[in-house]
Amino acid sequence: MEQKIAIAIDDLTVAYNYKPVLWDIDLQIPEGVLMAIVGPNGAGKSTLLKAILDIIKPLAGSVTVYGKPYKKQRDLVAYVPQKGSVDWDFPTTALDVVMMGTYGSLGWIKRPGQTQKKQALEALEKVGMLPFQNRQISQLSGGQQQRIFLARALVQNASIYFMDEPFQGVDATTEKAIIQILKELRKAGKTVIVVHHDLQTVPEYFDWVTFLNVKKIATGPVAQIFNDDNLTKTYGINYKTSITEGKL
Amino acid sequence: MTNAQLEIQIILSLVAVACALPGVFLVLRKMALISDAISHSILPGIVLGFFITQDLASPLLIVMATLTGVLTVVLVEYIQKTGLVKEDTAIGLVFPSMFSIGVILIARNAGDVHLDVDAVLLGEVAFAPFDRWMYNGIDMGPKSLWMIGTILTVSISLLILFFKELKVATFDAGLAASLGFTPIGIHYGLMTVSSVTTVGAFDAIGAILVVAFMIVPAASIYLLTNNLKKMLVYSALLGVFASIVGYWIAHFLDASIAGTIATVLGLLFFMVYLFAPDKGYISQWYKIKQQKTEVAMLVFMLHIANHEEEQERNVNHLQEHINWTSQLARKVLRLANQNNMIVIKNDVVSLTPKGAEFTNKAVSYISDNKNAELEGIKQNFFLFRG
Repeated sequence: MEQKIAIAIDDLTVAYNYKPVLWDIDLQIPEGVLMAIVGPNGAGKSTLLKAILDIIKPLAGSVTVYGKPYKKQRDLVAYVPQKGSVDWDFPTTALDVVMMGTYGSLGWIKRPGQTQKKQALEALEKVGMLPFQNRQISQLSGGQQQRIFLARALVQNASIYFMDEPFQGVDATTEKAIIQILKELRKAGKTVIVVHHDLQTVPEYFDWVTFLNVKKIATGPVAQIFNDDNLTKTYGINYKTSITEGKL
Repeated sequence: MTNAQLEIQIILSLVAVACALPGVFLVLRKMALISDAISHSILPGIVLGFFITQDLASPLLIVMATLTGVLTVVLVEYIQKTGLVKEDTAIGLVFPSMFSIGVILIARNAGDVHLDVDAVLLGEVAFAPFDRWMYNGIDMGPKSLWMIGTILTVSISLLILFFKELKVATFDAGLAASLGFTPIGIHYGLMTVSSVTTVGAFDAIGAILVVAFMIVPAASIYLLTNNLKKMLVYSALLGVFASIVGYWIAHFLDASIAGTIATVLGLLFFMVYLFAPDKGYISQWYKIKQQKTEVAMLVFMLHIANHEEEQERNVNHLQEHINWTSQLARKVLRLANQNNMIVIKNDVVSLTPKGAEFTNKAVSYISDNKNAELEGIKQNFFLFRG
């Protein structure tokens, strides 16, 4: 069966201060998958997302979104950065953060109005955060903050969702709620790409997986390629003991 | 009040507002020190501009000084990017060098004109009303009033136009970039506005007060509000308030206006720091004290619940069992009693049904890590707090 390709990455190399973080990555992500990117610390997982989203400039190579450069396809993409990448003491409310998801469709200068507010409230409702809409964001728990970030992405009503470690520092209930929403997105035909740390939950949560450690190790359906061979290639020889010792 | 006095207060108020607006974003971006760097390193730009035009209010001077201000930011970021030093060190490396170039230029070439280091550092707003703009023989008012008025109008317009972009780029640069809002462009836009404002303000109030006007109102209001728009409006108002109060203190003490305003701003921050309802020192201190008492109370109730034997629950021995000071022991006992959590019969303490329920719930919430529910039962059970 021929699947449509959502993201095509060709020969992508990214370097910080002359040290390659990603090396010659070729990767095709089919439309409609719920994909985990896994790899050890420093493997370049977040960097890969940022390079796709044009947040950092690659040294070489190209990325296309449905066959066109990202700059022309912004409307199709929503991004959830790591929770720790922002200052939660910023003077604003949960609703206002979710509203920021609508800024992309508004473009420069135009201000959000009632339509945008309605969209934001709907997204808050979906992630179960409606009662907290006027809460100052520093007064939310880690799990609630992550839900707010997810709501902000939902508001963008994109075709492709990128999430950088959405399960980090969240409680079990929130983790279940988030994966539920991601599965619903996939059912609706969206493509969801998640930087993920917990190897044990990969088969349960995802249907597609990419192993990354500076180079691309493997990519494909979880059922076919999520095996000891690829885990060893990605994490080194001791991945099994590392899992049992809880290091990964 | 004379016309000159009124004009000085208007100039000061406009400067206060013009500085507070970019100041809010500098504080939120943790870049407060950059304003200090800019305010000093614009000196060589001002001096060069002054040599060319011989006029402190000339637009060319603003352009030159703004360029050196932005150059400072570029240099600081460049040095920081080498990874050899951290940002604060990079700032410390750049601005003294730039400033001293300005100092040397003045000493060598401008010995006999109205431009000296004191004027740059402290300014002298008292002279502002004497330097007037005459148009076709008509008195249009002080030049610095026009200059700062123009800068303020431009920066308010920019703020209104790009409020949403500034907000998202400040809160989450990654999201802003992915949405196409070029956070780097917004960053340099803000740096340019900060530089222009500093140049426009320094003539009236000097480099030091520029820093105070940019940072102190924003830092104070940050402790008082959770709303960015309110933070902008109240910071501006606080700056205006400090200007007018500071002006009159200087008037009656016959002291430097810039000095008294900076002092008033410092005192205002101190008051906010002490008395802010949520984040202030006193409120925090009270909260921590209350939490300590509540934890002590829970420990006490657990002890009572855990021990059947009467000797462990005897009022006179409780103190040594839990190893508390008699002051704390008495306080907890009194609180538990007031809240009907315990009864004391023949000097032996027992839990009431309410006390037992509270202890059970608290234990299960603590072991399940349910902080929100734990706060909830406190609300339900405590009538009196320590």
